[in-house]
Amino acid sequence: MKAEFAFIALPVSALIAPSAFAVRYLTVDQAQQAIFPSKSFTAAPVKLTSSQRKAIEQASGLRVLHDEQQVWRVSGDSWFIVDEVVGKHEFITYAVGLNADGSVKQIEIMDYRETYGGQIRDQKWRAQFVGKTSKSPLKLDNDIKNISGATLSCRHITDGVKRLLAFYEIALKH
Amino acid sequence: MKSHSNIEIRRCRPLLGTFVEIEASGRNVAGLERGIAAAFSSVEKVHRLMSYHDPRSDVSRMNRDAFPNSVIVHPWTWKVLETAQQFARESNGVFDIAIARLLADRGYLPQCSHRLSGTATWRDVFLLKNYRVFFRRRLMVDLGGIAKGFAVDQAVGALKESGATSGIVNAGGDLCVFGSRSQVVHLRHPSRPSQVAGAVRLRERAMATSGIYFARCKYRGRNISPMIDGRTGRSSRELISVSVAASDCMSADALTKIVFALRERAAGLMARYQADALLLERNGAPSWMFHSSCDTPDRTRFD
Repeated sequence: MKAEFAFIALPVSALIAPSAFAVRYLTVDQAQQAIFPSKSFTAAPVKLTSSQRKAIEQASGLRVLHDEQQVWRVSGDSWFIVDEVVGKHEFITYAVGLNADGSVKQIEIMDYRETYGGQIRDQKWRAQFVGKTSKSPLKLDNDIKNISGATLSCRHITDGVKRLLAFYEIALKH
Repeated sequence: MKSHSNIEIRRCRPLLGTFVEIEASGRNVAGLERGIAAAFSSVEKVHRLMSYHDPRSDVSRMNRDAFPNSVIVHPWTWKVLETAQQFARESNGVFDIAIARLLADRGYLPQCSHRLSGTATWRDVFLLKNYRVFFRRRLMVDLGGIAKGFAVDQAVGALKESGATSGIVNAGGDLCVFGSRSQVVHLRHPSRPSQVAGAVRLRERAMATSGIYFARCKYRGRNISPMIDGRTGRSSRELISVSVAASDCMSADALTKIVFALRERAAGLMARYQADALLLERNGAPSWMFHSSCDTPDRTRFD
């Protein structure tokens, strides 16, 4: 097939936008099926005690921002966890599947949001994402689909997974 | 003819130190799911083989043992090394995988414990028979400038094999669009990351971008970037971003580094690879270089 390549004229407004960028990849159900196809899931949310929280922070060297962790027990003794990380400009929800031995099976990004102007740590700004489903997609410059240019680091996810592995050791493993 | 509905799946995983996004379309959900899983596995495998930081990777094994002994590497690593050496030859050393020492000195890569030869280059890297690699001097290679492009190409191969009819693989900005449909790719502004500096429409084409983004460091009081000219050891300063479109992502990835250092003097090489480039300067308008045979009806400027 003949390759095609063309530059596109951008309207002036596009040069200023986007101040925010969001993609929804997977809902919780979809993420469960993506990591553990045809398994059954039982919700088993965990509320951490303050001593568990301290133990996780000590073991991982990372701060625990929420006492509650969304956890599902997967048939076959595996675990499915939904977690979120906040960077300087990113707010990412992701899912981790843990094998029965506590090793990481798979990581899937569920929601990726990027914003500029310091709103990300603002509780109100974050609250607008709570309870969103795939039927109410975020309308933050969703015209933009593919981005080249910046190699964004996934360090926050790496840290998040490290924290979840400590969480598994302290709060899930029996 | 009535066409069956096309299914589209879009996934993203943290790999290669960045976010790898795969979107694929096809007729069969199960096939697409398998293809996407296989594509991510390919990227993971490239990561395992070619990570500079993982002590078990081929790259770490070479950096430890290819001098004074030799090391057998995976055929994929071999293929990347072979391509890297080809670009080193063709660019007369502007592209050089043996400059890890410079990057380490400037804080982009961790320092290594061995004493390294200060003047070692790609010419000291030997690809022997049966995937065996030998370094003539104590040196370190870093495949960071090319392995990501290779990973994208491998992922596209896996998707096509599974029956995906079109899609895109985007590994933190290095990407490849395949199949019948074209895709618009926006270029993030290098120094103003919330802004878009330009957009291109691609079909059956790969694009890689290298630039001075968030990865800027101070070295001896000056701002420098990890873009280093292999011959002079100098960082490029005026240009802030180079995007190259080519038929495969590995070539596009390597060519961005060469255009960064050579600019117009890379025109011959760009023509040989039928590649196009978009250059952004700190305070200038975007400019681009087309290979001679390129048929681009829309050469609109962004200004």
